[in-house]
Amino acid sequence: MSRVKATVDFIHAWQHADEIADEVEAELRFHVQMRTQANIEEGMTPDEAQLAAKQSFGDFDQIKMSCCEIKRGLPFNMKPIRMGLYIAIACLAGGFALVAVNLPHHNLFGVLWQLAAIAVLMCAFLVGRRKQ
Amino acid sequence: MAKSKAGLLQGTLDMLILKALSLGALHGYGIGQRIAQISGDELKIEEGSLYPGLYRLEHRGWVQSEWDTSENNQRAKFYKLTRAGRKQLTLEERNWERLAGATMKALRAS
Repeated sequence: MSRVKATVDFIHAWQHADEIADEVEAELRFHVQMRTQANIEEGMTPDEAQLAAKQSFGDFDQIKMSCCEIKRGLPFNMKPIRMGLYIAIACLAGGFALVAVNLPHHNLFGVLWQLAAIAVLMCAFLVGRRKQ
Repeated sequence: MAKSKAGLLQGTLDMLILKALSLGALHGYGIGQRIAQISGDELKIEEGSLYPGLYRLEHRGWVQSEWDTSENNQRAKFYKLTRAGRKQLTLEERNWERLAGATMKALRAS
């Protein structure tokens, strides 16, 4: 699948989330129906067959949700984008540091504010690195 | 005594789905049936777990799907292997053979 098609599919999946969910549900229901039919042919009563089909399928809602999430997943690798974001945060923190150093010393509130901003940004950067 | 069925190793489900589809287009239920058939009914797969696997493979561009009419005249989603999927299957088969060979060698070592 080309990157363009993958991106178009990705946008479509987000724009038509309900339609996608219905489609996934129809597909999973078809499976359960086929299994039920096979169980009936093996000699089970319709109720037993349906129950056994549902059991052998597993958690229907969970599987449906997983499929929808995969459909809505990003069509490209997020690692370079995430790395770029961390670098941007680091640059921003550096910029704040420069501004804080050059602030007049009598403006204590300004210096404190800048230092707090740097601390927050550095924490965000470190947390991001650890998660990665 | 009932014959015990082998559980699937992580990552092998994707390879089995690709293998099943290399023999022709199928809907999800058919893929499960075909895997059971080609494994001589030895591999036990929780049926629902096939679908996240199929969606992952489609997302990677290794399979593609379209809605069509099934053998019992119902609307069903059919999957088929793409060229990239066929290449991936060849690659995974080679890796699997190497891994299985190495494991056997290790187990036979005295």
